[in-house]
Amino acid sequence: MIHFERTKLANGLTVIVHQDKTTPMVAVDVCYNVGSRDEHPDRTGFAHLFEHLMFGGSKHIPSYDEPLQKAGGDNNAFTSNDLTNYYLTLPKNNIETGFWLESDRMLELAFSKSSLEVQRNVVIEEFKQRYLNQPYGDVWPLLRQLAYKVHPYQWPTIGREISHIEQATMQQVKDFFFAHYAPDNAVLVVTGDVQFDQVVTMAEHWFGPIPSRNVKPRNIAQEPEQTEIREQTVVRDVPNDTIYMAYHMPERLDPAYYATDLISDVLSNGNSSRMYQNLVQKEKLFTELDAYLSGDYEPGLFIVSGKPSNGISIETARKAIEQELDRMKQEKVSEYELEKVKNKMEANIEYAEMNYLTKAMNLATNEILQDAELINSQVQLYHSVTASYIQEVSQQLFLPENCSVLNYIAKK
Amino acid sequence: MLNRTKQPIVNPIEHIDMVQAEKRLLSNGIPVYFINAGSQDVVKIDFIFEAGTWFQSSNLVSSLCNSMLEEGCRNFSASEIAERFDFYGAYIQLVADQNYGYANVVSLGKHLPAILEVTENMLKHSVFPEYELEVLIDKNKQKFLLENEKVRTLCQKKFTQVMFGEEHPYAMNNKLEDFDQINREMLVQFYQTYYHSGNCRIIAAGRIDESVLDLLETHFGGSDWNQKLVPAAEFVMKPSPQKFHHVEKANGSQSAIRVGKMWVSKSHPDYIPLSILVTIFGGYFGSRLMANIREEKGYTYGIGSFVLSLKYASYLIISTEVGNEYVEPTRKEIAFEMNRLQTEPVSESELATLKSYLLGEFLRDFDGPFALAGSFKAINDFGLDYTFYDRYLDTLRNITPEELMKLARQYLNPDDCYTVVAGSMG
Repeated sequence: MIHFERTKLANGLTVIVHQDKTTPMVAVDVCYNVGSRDEHPDRTGFAHLFEHLMFGGSKHIPSYDEPLQKAGGDNNAFTSNDLTNYYLTLPKNNIETGFWLESDRMLELAFSKSSLEVQRNVVIEEFKQRYLNQPYGDVWPLLRQLAYKVHPYQWPTIGREISHIEQATMQQVKDFFFAHYAPDNAVLVVTGDVQFDQVVTMAEHWFGPIPSRNVKPRNIAQEPEQTEIREQTVVRDVPNDTIYMAYHMPERLDPAYYATDLISDVLSNGNSSRMYQNLVQKEKLFTELDAYLSGDYEPGLFIVSGKPSNGISIETARKAIEQELDRMKQEKVSEYELEKVKNKMEANIEYAEMNYLTKAMNLATNEILQDAELINSQVQLYHSVTASYIQEVSQQLFLPENCSVLNYIAKK
Repeated sequence: MLNRTKQPIVNPIEHIDMVQAEKRLLSNGIPVYFINAGSQDVVKIDFIFEAGTWFQSSNLVSSLCNSMLEEGCRNFSASEIAERFDFYGAYIQLVADQNYGYANVVSLGKHLPAILEVTENMLKHSVFPEYELEVLIDKNKQKFLLENEKVRTLCQKKFTQVMFGEEHPYAMNNKLEDFDQINREMLVQFYQTYYHSGNCRIIAAGRIDESVLDLLETHFGGSDWNQKLVPAAEFVMKPSPQKFHHVEKANGSQSAIRVGKMWVSKSHPDYIPLSILVTIFGGYFGSRLMANIREEKGYTYGIGSFVLSLKYASYLIISTEVGNEYVEPTRKEIAFEMNRLQTEPVSESELATLKSYLLGEFLRDFDGPFALAGSFKAINDFGLDYTFYDRYLDTLRNITPEELMKLARQYLNPDDCYTVVAGSMG
């Protein structure tokens, strides 16, 4: 259970404070409600490129990192399909430097030409390092493109292609900033040994004067229901064949999301899970086999990926996976299995509460999703999932016409 | 009035609460180092055995022996072991490095009795079933093939071979054939020789009270797995006479670069001031290498320098992946930055920034039970005590630009360094 207090400034900025007296540090997390789903299809990778530019100096502060380091601070950021999260940690007596830095870059960036040029290059090298120059590096982009025809989840956060990053202009950068970076489109979370009143006073002082930008609610075209199975086969210079099967699944706020999460745990979380025990250990059909969720806020993907053992064809591998998924549809999971995955979920939530920064990030991302309080209600939501409900959700999920299959074949 | 151009007053970090590990001996002599800290009912217990690659006579033995610990023991089959951990939401991480074999357990405190019961059986009575071994070898073989496709892996392997000589235990030299030569007997023999109380120490962190210590005594304190510490053998390093090496990997868009040299050990008087120098050079986001090669030139997504301290050797390593066209310019800039540290004193302002940053890092290293355990292990592995950190803080607060320049002249000569590039020369 994480106790927190919350308020909203006049300009629309939500402020959340959680006191953790066990640490000498504070975390300051600023999360913006903008991700790669908000990009134009011809200018993908922009939200992530923008995350890089946020470190290139702001209106009154030429360098972000140096003053933070002077105060003993450290920071990082990440961009997802759904949001962009910036977080820093500082010794608690230097918390104000965090407010100074974060408020100035929310107010306005420096929009430096040289920063844009260099960060374009850095992101292009990141693109190569993570996607082009890695075995299986293009799996995720291929799978997204196969599963989504309309929704912007069809491209990865790094972008659809390098040229989109190469062609980013300063005007586009400015437009993107003023359209999405605003107090009324963000949440500020502070965790550590701090008082709510102290944080609110500082937030009023530093963030209060930033004008609200009346950010327009997003209007994203929803993915139409998939009506037939999709399949793509690619041949690549990799050591092993791999099969990927992606099923459309409910959005994060749907109660079925929690059931789907537990389905993936029954199938593949830990060495005692069904797929590991049956297909890796007993039948030796795979050397690696996983089931997991993409974790997106809007309707995302339930993915099974597996590397067949030597001599096992991709067809045999697929049949074996389908059999395990069918079993989820035909039989209820046992009470023991259900208790196991719930225990595990509960323990993981407890582990996540050990760290003040993890707590700040979880509060921020849940508030962007809908409500920071979700962080506390999730234990109950997982607990209320029944074996019959898991079966029901499996029956809706594991339909051939809901599936996209990617056969990733090793060049011989 | 709101002044956005001026940084708020920065307060110095004066008080650092360095919670220290306490020591207790089990009846059979296993030292237990424990840190009682943290707000949650979580416990992490690391069992550390002198059983790393240093002790193996053939490749893969130490790591496969370690992995097999969860594949079956006298009272529990592999699947029963997995069930036990999963049911209680606990984890066991089995990993072997150059010197040690680890079994690291994380559990909610309330489930610890059930978890330690199975852990005891795994550590003392592993049975190495043939079938599970076969599955494990297949899995590792595939992982090996995948890793060998990555330029960073190829580069790191070659780099360690160049520094130590291919036959040295600190060189990564696993080959595909090794997987066919391994057999059960080799693993069993390794297990019997190295996994016992005489070769073990325990580091426990989290909510550790007397009941946890009692559990450790009950399960691991007996004389039933008692043998003497096995002395470590000695090996001669055979570094390559050639300073530059290339590993060809066709058709890639990036190359991996490693530059480095042998370094002083943690107990050497220069180690601490050098660690500060290495941080300025490439150890944080504001470092010279990052500022020049990423933030000014945009050649890479990331570049860093760090010191890898192993029990019997340490080395400095600069590591990056860059577009193929940037390999030569990057090498040039790495040398340029070494020369600059040798010829120009670090400015007072840069040094002040670095000192604050490192003090902040120091606070983080002593914040929370797991960080505290990590900081303890970092000295305990080398037979050092907490005075190491007192010396560190003292050095950090007092070091001068002149001392750093002197150290750079002695230790950071580009000509002394080995360079390995893995990628396409095409």
